[in-house]
Order: sequence, then structure tokens, then C-alpha cells
Amino acid sequence: MDTPQKIANGAKPWIEQAETPFIRISNLTKKFGEFTAVDNITLDIYREELFCLLGGSGCGKSTLLRMLAGFENPTSGRVEIDGQDMANVPAYARPTNMMFQSYALFPHMTVEKNVAYGLMRDGVSKSDAADQVADMLNLVQLSEFAKRKPEQLSGGQRQRVALARSLIKKPKLLLLDEPLGALDKKLREETQFELINIQESLGVTFIVVTHDQEEAMTLSTRIGVMDQGEIVQVGEPHEVYEFPQTRFVADFIGSVNIFEGRVSADATDYVRIHSQEGDCDIHVSHGVSCTENQKLWFAIRPEKLTISREKPRGKFNFVKGVIDEIAYQGNLSVYRIKLASGKIVRVTKSNRARHDGDAFSWDDNVYVSWDEAAGVVLAQ
Amino acid sequence: MSKTNGISIGRRIFNRIGTYGRSLVIGVPLWWLIIFFLIPFAVVFKISFAESLIARPPYSKLLEWKDGLMVLKLHLSNYGYLIDDDLYILAYWSSIKVAFFSTLIALLIAYPMAYYIARTTERRRGVLLMLIILPFWTSFLLRVYAWIGILKTNGIINNVLMSLGITSEPIVMMQTNFAVYVGIVYTYLPFMILPLFTNLVKLDNSLLEASADLGASPITTFFKVTLPLSMPGMIAGSMLVFIPVVGEFVIPALLGGPDTLMIGKVLWNEFFSNRDWPVASAVAIVMLVLLIVPIVLMRNAQQASAGASS
Amino acid sequence: MKKLLSTVALVAMMTSPVLAAEKVLHVFNWSDYIAEDTIKKFTAKTGIKVTYDVYDSNEVLEAKMLAGSSGFDVVVPTADFLQRQIAAGVYAKLDKSKLPNLKNMDPDLMKALGNFDKGNEHAVIYMWGTTGIGYNTKAIAKRLGDKAPTDSWALVFDPANAAKLKDCGITLLDAPTEIIPAAMNYLGLDPRSTKKADLEKGAALLTKIRPFVRYFHSSQYISDLANGDICLSVGWSGDVFQARDRAGEAKKGVEIGYSIPKQGALQWFDTMAIPVDSKNKDAAHTFINFVMDAQITADITNYVWYANGNKASLPMVEQEIKDDPGIFPTDEVKDKLWGAKVYAKKTDRIITRLWTKIKTGK
Repeated sequence: MDTPQKIANGAKPWIEQAETPFIRISNLTKKFGEFTAVDNITLDIYREELFCLLGGSGCGKSTLLRMLAGFENPTSGRVEIDGQDMANVPAYARPTNMMFQSYALFPHMTVEKNVAYGLMRDGVSKSDAADQVADMLNLVQLSEFAKRKPEQLSGGQRQRVALARSLIKKPKLLLLDEPLGALDKKLREETQFELINIQESLGVTFIVVTHDQEEAMTLSTRIGVMDQGEIVQVGEPHEVYEFPQTRFVADFIGSVNIFEGRVSADATDYVRIHSQEGDCDIHVSHGVSCTENQKLWFAIRPEKLTISREKPRGKFNFVKGVIDEIAYQGNLSVYRIKLASGKIVRVTKSNRARHDGDAFSWDDNVYVSWDEAAGVVLAQ
Repeated sequence: MSKTNGISIGRRIFNRIGTYGRSLVIGVPLWWLIIFFLIPFAVVFKISFAESLIARPPYSKLLEWKDGLMVLKLHLSNYGYLIDDDLYILAYWSSIKVAFFSTLIALLIAYPMAYYIARTTERRRGVLLMLIILPFWTSFLLRVYAWIGILKTNGIINNVLMSLGITSEPIVMMQTNFAVYVGIVYTYLPFMILPLFTNLVKLDNSLLEASADLGASPITTFFKVTLPLSMPGMIAGSMLVFIPVVGEFVIPALLGGPDTLMIGKVLWNEFFSNRDWPVASAVAIVMLVLLIVPIVLMRNAQQASAGASS
Repeated sequence: MKKLLSTVALVAMMTSPVLAAEKVLHVFNWSDYIAEDTIKKFTAKTGIKVTYDVYDSNEVLEAKMLAGSSGFDVVVPTADFLQRQIAAGVYAKLDKSKLPNLKNMDPDLMKALGNFDKGNEHAVIYMWGTTGIGYNTKAIAKRLGDKAPTDSWALVFDPANAAKLKDCGITLLDAPTEIIPAAMNYLGLDPRSTKKADLEKGAALLTKIRPFVRYFHSSQYISDLANGDICLSVGWSGDVFQARDRAGEAKKGVEIGYSIPKQGALQWFDTMAIPVDSKNKDAAHTFINFVMDAQITADITNYVWYANGNKASLPMVEQEIKDDPGIFPTDEVKDKLWGAKVYAKKTDRIITRLWTKIKTGK
């Protein structure tokens, strides 16, 4: 068997199909009574991936994770980890470990004992366990807190204990349920990179559940966006961002302006859409499989829009409106521009200069324009 | 100016009411303790130093006027008496033994019940808790008498066993230590279940999942996580059972045999048969002291483990 | 249910009864010790309402009396306890002008009571009886044959006999001052002896038969004997007769007998007295006088199967009861009866301690 190239070094097994997937989820469904939490999901995840399940609350992402851990039994479908069917494998016998959203640290044990817990269950000798625990605590920079009880630690420290405890058995697969959810913003950003470093250095496959799209973008090799029990799109972060396949994905990840319209011209290398909402014609410089007069949506990110006082040249790809509101956010400003139809368009503009003499102001009449390759056409 | 004055006076009055209110609220349990614990205790303590007399009340006064002098007579002999005759030590010891084993049996029965109630669905939980509390709605004595009907020679158990041909002669269960344990465990079981339940119901399910996730079988999880975390509940329940059982009189009197020696009966004998109120009081004081020691120890243990788990 | 009441009274010992209200008379009597209609008739005749409580040991009554403020107006102590309680100043002197029915009383028995209450100043006889042997005739015959010594203390105090009765159940009264003297009587010692050695000899005999005794209790044996749960009780005459009655009503084939052993038995008197702190002394006198009515006393005797001290009532007492030597013993047997002894405090303590040793082995 040839050693596949490391994901850390830029390999993309999900494209190259060079190796068999490490985790195969096929037609997995979980129902709680009448409610379908996970709806017929099929998904492959590769060794050493850092895969994010992203979605709003109640979308089924946690249920999916708990089925992988063995805490919930699937109603139907199959989970395979490293070629082994998990159907009758109880949680305690699975080659997975989980880091809980609440951390679930044992309150009656010291940090040391918490981390050693998994090793002791495997019958590792005390001295071996002590060495491994010391190494692990070193890795998460908690060596000096070994004898403390969880209640004597800060939130960030507890988070690292939970991580250390779940990594100590060197699982093939680590499941992380909102691992950074309980931390404040600054700590969260620092910890994100720590998490990536640890993941890469240990070579463990991570599946992370999160509702935070920024976190998903930062951490993951790939993101699976979930909605109502289904995975609506799987892709690398930039794919999911730049090429959303549905309005839901486009809207859930980042901010987006969506114009509803109908196809007015359909050619092999371009398509034109007329939008009543925007009172504009949109020219897209690539072909889209559609028919004349079909209802479509054109999605474009706020940072890809340009504001100007002069009317842009040409007939396409601009709308006219009035600046309704300006939000200064330091690195950039967000403009809310009201069109004649009442629709609000969001535009972001990075604040390159410290003082912009020609800055736009409230109630200015402006044009918003975009490049013919900047947006995405969505059929649903 | 007048307005601010008005406000400040108003506030001052309000503050004063607040202080009074607070001391009133704090005062209620304090007065309760003084009236229902300290004063009776002081009376019993006083009698324990008196001399038994044929009189009404049947004991001597501690303070007497003699030739213009106030004389305080303390009869320490009542306590010496408890050491002279080994009956008292044996009775204390056997009461503590009965209390210990009753507590242990109650714990073993109550734990799975409390665990199940804490882990079952909300709806079933309400019903089961109701069933635990339900016996309190009937008289305690009636329930003990019901046990007499069940256990006696011509009682329900023996009738069933004999009609099924399992035994030919009735099994003597009444007036035995077995009946005493049945009665005590039955009566005190709710006091064990309820604190255990309130503890176990708070148990975070994710801790059990974490334990399973780290490779612990359900049994290991129970001993490594559930049991240590339920320690405060076990201690509270054990205290609620152990302490009253040591002084239990009615259950052994009704269900026990004549050789069921417990300190409650010895106290009864001193009080009623010997009419020796001072010695009876000394027995009670020593029992109180013997009980305070485990209470203090258990409280310390509870605080230690509560500190560890919260 | 009566049994339950007696236990409630025992348990409620420490709780002081209500402050005596003017119109309610509080009577404290032994359990199962009055005719069903006595109280009803009293209230009907006098308009005085009665709260009736029961106990089943002299010790319970005594503790209440010594504590004082019991709230009771009429109580029924046994004569030897009465004597000590009079000494403690518990009882009020009777106003004999309010007790015209005293004329009904048997002068010989009242004279005997005078040994405990000089000049009959504090109490009148309620009932009297003996402490003898109640037994299940069929169960005894089955185990000991037709020649079972049912007329002798040997039936229970001979370990060989007691051993054979263990399985069907022996019980003794939980009354050390009655049982230990009975054992001494069987051994040929003076049952009224206060010598420590004599008391210890009696206790030693009881220790020998201890393994065959199921329980020591002073009221439970009535229903157990009647139900066939036990087959021999050293108990009070009238209680055994009540058991005989109940067994007859139950029709389960249980037959109960009572015998005053030929060696002799304790003869005791239960008396009516008024606590010195009674708030209804007039009503209390009315009640005592009412009970001394010949017909009322006869009714009680007919119901509880105890002999009374009321000579005038005898014509109204049922023949069956009058003829029963277990209730009204023959003169020959009467000679062998002994009266209760009032012990010194020290002796009391010896007896209690011996009793605990007999019961628990410790």
C-alpha cells in the first residue's frame, strides 16, 4: 500500500480519490419519535481531515456526532470507521473519543486523574500512564495544574483539560462538540490555531461540530453544511464560501445579497437575468444550465460590490440606491443601500486610508456595481 | 431640600425595617432551636444530675437552701452507674449495630430505586416519587401493624408458604431481629431514597457518556463516576436513617423479640420500671453525645466531598 | 383496634394531654377493661362527657402520675403501685360523702386493700384477679398428652415441658414483679421474699425456660392466644377469658383454658383513684360512685370476666362466671393466693436488672 500524501502538506484525498475514506457514513437516519433529526446522510471523511459539521441549532449536527461516538443508535443506515462496521459496537469499545461541549470533566478528580482516566480503563500501568499524562499536560500547557480540581480552573484551562483527556488514548477519530463554544472571542481565536497545531502534530482525524461559520472556515479542511437533518453542501471552506450551491448555504456562511430574477438570455458562455427587485439586468460571464424565463437567484457577497457616485459604464451589473446607513467597524465599513424597490443591499468597503476626504455620507445617491464573474447563480 | 430629607428618612425607615426583618428571619430557626432543642436538653441534662426519689416529680432539686446557704448537689453517680453495669454499653453497642446494618440495607435497597427514579422519564418519575411518599399519608403505627399481619405465625407469608406446600410448619418471623430489620428498613427507606434521588437527578449525563467514551464499561462508570459523585446523597440519607434508628423504640417494641436489646428499651426500663428519671436522663445524654460524634464526622466528610464536587 | 389504642397511649406517653376542660372527664384505664356500654350509660345518666384513654402497664400510668399535670381525673392503678404513688403524694383523698355506693363493696376485700391504702382513704376496688396460666387446650394435649399438668406451674416452669411447647409459642407478661415471684413460688420459695438470693433463684429458673419463650408482653397475648398464634401465656385471668371468648367467636376450633396453679398465684387488686391535680374531682367522684353501682359493676364483670369487689353486684353476675374457679377461686385455692409486695427502690432495681438479663441474656 502506498503512503498517501499528508493532508497537512496540501493533499486532497476527497478529490484525488487516492485512498479509501476513513469514515464512511451511508444513508444514516435518526428519528426521535416523529421528529427526524438526521435524514439519510451519506458522507465520506478521510484520514487526518479536520472536518467541520456546520449548522444552526437543531440541524442534527450533534446527533450525527453522537451516532459516531455511539451514544445514539441510528434508526437506519450504517457507520463505518476504518473499515469496521460500528453497528453493534458500544461507545466504550469504539476507536473514537469525544470532547464534550460542557467538557464533562469529572468534578471529583484532579486534572491528572481526569486525563489518566482513559488510560486506566485500558489497563495501562500507573507509571506509563503518569508519563503519558505528563506529556499530554505539557502539550496543552497545563503541567502546573495537574493536582487541581476542575472547579479551580478557568474556562480556557478546563477546555484544554477536556482536550487532553480526549486525546490521551490517541484515538483514530476525535469528535469535538462545539469545542470553543464556551470561550470568549479572543481566547477562541487563539485556541483555534492551537487546536489545528495539535491536530496536525498528532495526525488525528477531527470531526468538529460548530454553529460558528468563522470557526469552521478557520479550522477545517472541509465543511459539511447541515440544515434540517440533511447535509446541504460539502466542500473546502473557500468552495463553500465562493460557490454556495443553495441560497441557504450562501446566506448561512457569511453575508450575502440575493436578487431574485428570471433568465432573459441563455447562451453557452453567459447568462442574463432580469431582476425586478433590483430593477437591473445581470450579466454572468459563464454558462448556467437553465431555461429561458426560469426563476433564479443571483447571490453576491458585500465585499465584491463597489459604490460610486457616477453611473457605471455599460448596461448591466449595477443598481441605483440611497445610502440608508453606514456602520463603521474599524477595518471596514458596512453600507446599507436602499433601492427604489425598498430592498436593502449590503456593501463592505475596506478602510484603506485613515481619512477619506471623499467619503460617502447618509442619503447620498449612489450606484452599486459588480464584476461579471463576482456572483453566483443559484437555482434553489 | 425637603424632598431629599423625605427620601433619606424614608430610606432610613426602610433600612431599619430591613434590619429587623432580617433578624426576624434569622431569629426563627434560632428560637426554634432554643425552644425545641436547647431547653428540653437543658432540662434532661439537669435531671441527669439529680437523685431519684419517691415524690412528684420523682427526683431531687439541684439547688437547695440550707442554713441560709445555697447548696448545689450534683449526683454524678448516675453516669458512674452507666459504666458499672455493662448492660448500658452493650445496649448502646447493639443499637449502633442495628442502626449500622439497617442503614446499610436501606442504602443497598434505596440506591437502585433512587437511581431508576432519577434516570427514568419525567412523567414516570412523578408517579414513582408519589409512591415513595404515599405511605406517609397513613399512620406509621398502622403500617407497622400491617407488618405484624404479614409476618406473624398465622400471617400472610406463612399462609402462602404453607398453602403452596413450601413449608409444613410456620416460620417464626415475628418477635425476631429479622422483623425489627424489616420494620426499620421499611419505615426509613424513603429517608434514604429521597436525598439519594435529589443527588442522582442532578448527575450530568454527559459525565457518564464521557466515561463510556473513554473506555469504561457501564459497571466501571458506576463505580468510578456515579458512586463517588453520589456520596453527598448517600451521606445525607445515611444520617437521616442512622441517627433516629439508634434511638428507635417503637419498632423493636412492636416487632422485636424480648432479646432485641436497644438503648431505647433500656431507657424505657429506667424511666418506667425503675422510676429512675435521673439515670434515664443520663442514658439519654450519653446517647446524644454518642450521636453527635458521627454527625460531626459525617458533616465534615460531606463538606469535603461537596467541596470536591460542586 | 383496642390493642392499637393501648399502643398509641404508650407511644403518646410523653405528650401531655389537653388541659382538662370543665365538662369533660378524663378516664385512664387498662386496655380491654370495661363493658362496651359503661361510658355511654354514664354520660346518658349524668350528662358528663368522657374522654377515655387506655394503657397496658402500671409503669406507664406511674410515669404519668409522677410527672404530674397528666390531665386525668380517674385512673386505675394496681394496689402495690397505688401504695407507692400515695407515698409520692399523687392521689387525692376520697370524699366518701360523695360515694354512697361504697355500701355495695365487699368489706373483706376492702380490708385487704387496706394493706396498701390505710383506711381506704384514696381508692376503691375496681376489679381483682389472679396471674395464672392461659393455654390452648388442644395444642397442649397434642404436645404433652392428656396428663399435661395444666393445674401446675410445672406446665411452663419445668424446662422439659416448656421445650415441647416452644414451637406453638409461650409468652409471659412483661411484668417482672409478677413473673419472678411466680417462679419463686414454683421453686417452693416465699413469693414475697425480697432476698436477693431468692430473686436470683427465680430468675435462674426463668433463664432456663427463656429459650422457649416467644415474647414478653402484657396485652398482645389476648388476640394471639385467641387466634392460635401462641399456645401458652402466663397472663391475667380476665384477659385469658377474653381470649377464650374471642376464640369462640372466631370459630376456628381454638379452645382456651385458664388455671390458677395449685402451688398458688398472685392475687391483685386494681383500684380507682383520683389524681391530686384533677380539675374535675366532683365529676370523678360521680364516675367512681356510678361504677360502684351494683348493676354497672356486674355488667363490667360479665364483659371482662374479672371478679369484682362489689358484693351487691354478685346476684347480677352470670352464673357461668360465678362458678368458674379461675375467676372466683374456691376457698382452698384462695388460701394459696398471695398479695403483691411493694419493694424498696433497691429491690426494684435488682428485679428490673434481673428481668433484662432474663429477656436479653445480657
